[in-house]
Amino acid sequence: MTTAIDIRDVTKIYNPNSNQPVKALDSVSLTIDDNEFFTLLGPSGCGKTTLLRLIAGFEQVSGGEIMLFDDEIENLEPNRRPVNTVFQHYALFPHMTVAENVAFGLERLKKPKAEVQTTVERVLTLVKMKHLGDRHPNQLSGGQQQRVALARALAPSPKVLLLDEPLSALDLKLRQAMREELKQLQKETGITFVFVTHDQEEALAMSDRIAVMSDGEVQQIGGPTDIYEHPVNRFVADFIGDTNFLDGEIVDIKDDLVTCRIGSNSMYEAENSGGHTVGDHVTLFLRPEKITLSDASDANQPDNRPGKVANIVYLGNQAAYTVDMGDGVELVAQARPREDGKLPFAIDEPLAVGFSARALRVLVQ
Amino acid sequence: MTLWMPKTAAGKRWLGLAPSYIVIGIFMLIPMVIMGVFSFLEPNPYGGVMPEGSVAAYVKLFFEYDLEDNLVFNPGYINIIYRSFQLSIGATLLCLAFGFPVAYYITLQPEHKRNFYIFLITIPFWTNLLIRTFAWIIILGRGGVIEMPLLAAGIIEDSLRMMYTDGAIAIGLTYSYLPLMVLPIYASLEKLDFRLLEAATDLYANRLEVMTRVVIPLCKPGIIAGCILVFIPCLGAFIAPNLLGGGKKLMLGSLVQFQFASARNWPFGAALSMLLLAVVVVVLIFYARAAKKQAAIAGEG
Repeated sequence: MTTAIDIRDVTKIYNPNSNQPVKALDSVSLTIDDNEFFTLLGPSGCGKTTLLRLIAGFEQVSGGEIMLFDDEIENLEPNRRPVNTVFQHYALFPHMTVAENVAFGLERLKKPKAEVQTTVERVLTLVKMKHLGDRHPNQLSGGQQQRVALARALAPSPKVLLLDEPLSALDLKLRQAMREELKQLQKETGITFVFVTHDQEEALAMSDRIAVMSDGEVQQIGGPTDIYEHPVNRFVADFIGDTNFLDGEIVDIKDDLVTCRIGSNSMYEAENSGGHTVGDHVTLFLRPEKITLSDASDANQPDNRPGKVANIVYLGNQAAYTVDMGDGVELVAQARPREDGKLPFAIDEPLAVGFSARALRVLVQ
Repeated sequence: MTLWMPKTAAGKRWLGLAPSYIVIGIFMLIPMVIMGVFSFLEPNPYGGVMPEGSVAAYVKLFFEYDLEDNLVFNPGYINIIYRSFQLSIGATLLCLAFGFPVAYYITLQPEHKRNFYIFLITIPFWTNLLIRTFAWIIILGRGGVIEMPLLAAGIIEDSLRMMYTDGAIAIGLTYSYLPLMVLPIYASLEKLDFRLLEAATDLYANRLEVMTRVVIPLCKPGIIAGCILVFIPCLGAFIAPNLLGGGKKLMLGSLVQFQFASARNWPFGAALSMLLLAVVVVVLIFYARAAKKQAAIAGEG
């Protein structure tokens, strides 16, 4: 597999000579494969947009190298890099029509007029905007502007397309529809997409691989299921999806299971991810959807424990239950409303909480 | 006793606006009507006008009487008008050439510095234009600030004779009205979304193309406003032409001033002013059209 982008040891420090230098990226290294939908995911201020701007060339690296298909590009001006950007707020040229916006990059590359015209038509068709080519950007809705921004960035056939939170300004329904379209577009064009977002759902839904970032460092790189099911640390587990964390100490290790003491003296078994010793302080994590809630009578079944409903948050298609497990341990679990729409359990009702030891994973503290 | 109040909303609005109508009427409309009327009267040799109708002033713009009392075409005044246009356009272009980079530079500064620079731009307005133009005599004149070091260093042997030339007038006009170019351009550049510049470089535009394709088209209203604000007062200027052109090289403004102050031909001065006014109106109509077109593109959210 060819490598599209190779980030080697890239550091970015803003205002390096002032008395308040800001380290936005701290020797980040990662590779992005050709034809991949790669997502940079993290909270605001984690450095994901900075990394994107370094690839685009709007910022200069303070250290390290950026390779694009084996060419060193970190010292090139943005207009000499064969990458294009879809900006967060689209940045469409207000004085040009949609078609002129899309043609802009092609004209700068001195493509022949006929080719410019056919390419503009082709990309506008691709994003379903061909019929609005004569409009000005301010006559378009947010979703339409989004499509034009995409078309404009795709028109020059960049080697890599950079997308800086392009969906964040759209409303929910449109955002969900655009996710699928973006993914489809990436497959159709075969262009490597580097997508920046703080929305973990978006990242999971679209990406081939995700790099989770925080504080200017890459925390974990992997496919969506990897990141969701096997986070390497508490930050990743917490940032992606909802999670129960249980802090404790390892008291026993059998082949594939570790036993941890949580709270004062509750024992929980978890999958042995290896490399642990008895006495380690660890955090166990358990996704709410891996927990089954059932009637209190089931509490003696294997893999079940008794609990009591402490709080309920109704979400329509499901309800999030906070369950008091005793000994100061609380778990959040999900349950679907019954067919008649009523919730299966009420507050303070005792119930059985079922989860297998396989669902509990160990994070090193 | 009660004050009279208009009954309708329109009437009340009219009453509220009345002060501004009165001010515009007294300070703009009435003087203009007086000028218009004067331009159709006979001159009084002692200044002022005589109450006899005449179109002589307008005839004088283009014709003169020869020795046999025949009307013959006289290009003298047309030439002055033509020269005025040349110099004004030249000064406007010079102002644009100097003013745009200055405005652009100020826009790129951090916000707290920008206000300070704008403040510096307006400082020359604190001193009388006449005095500031005199300073240019010292700079450009024989043995002046420019010539003296060159003479002393032996680079030139004789005076450069910069004074009393069209170039000197153009420099004086450019200097006088440069701030009027910088301010409107700055105002429109300040509203420019600089992310558009990033988008343009991302789409393979070099520095020049970013300027010509994005920055200049988007701040066109500011450039047009600046050009008009410089061009119109240049046409009517008389301080720079009189001081730096030595009064030999007349411009439209100095010609008008001369008719009222020295030649005592008020109707002719008034006719020249009417001509100037007509030109200004034409330029402003052009501007209004351009502004409307721009608003059509930028507007409609």
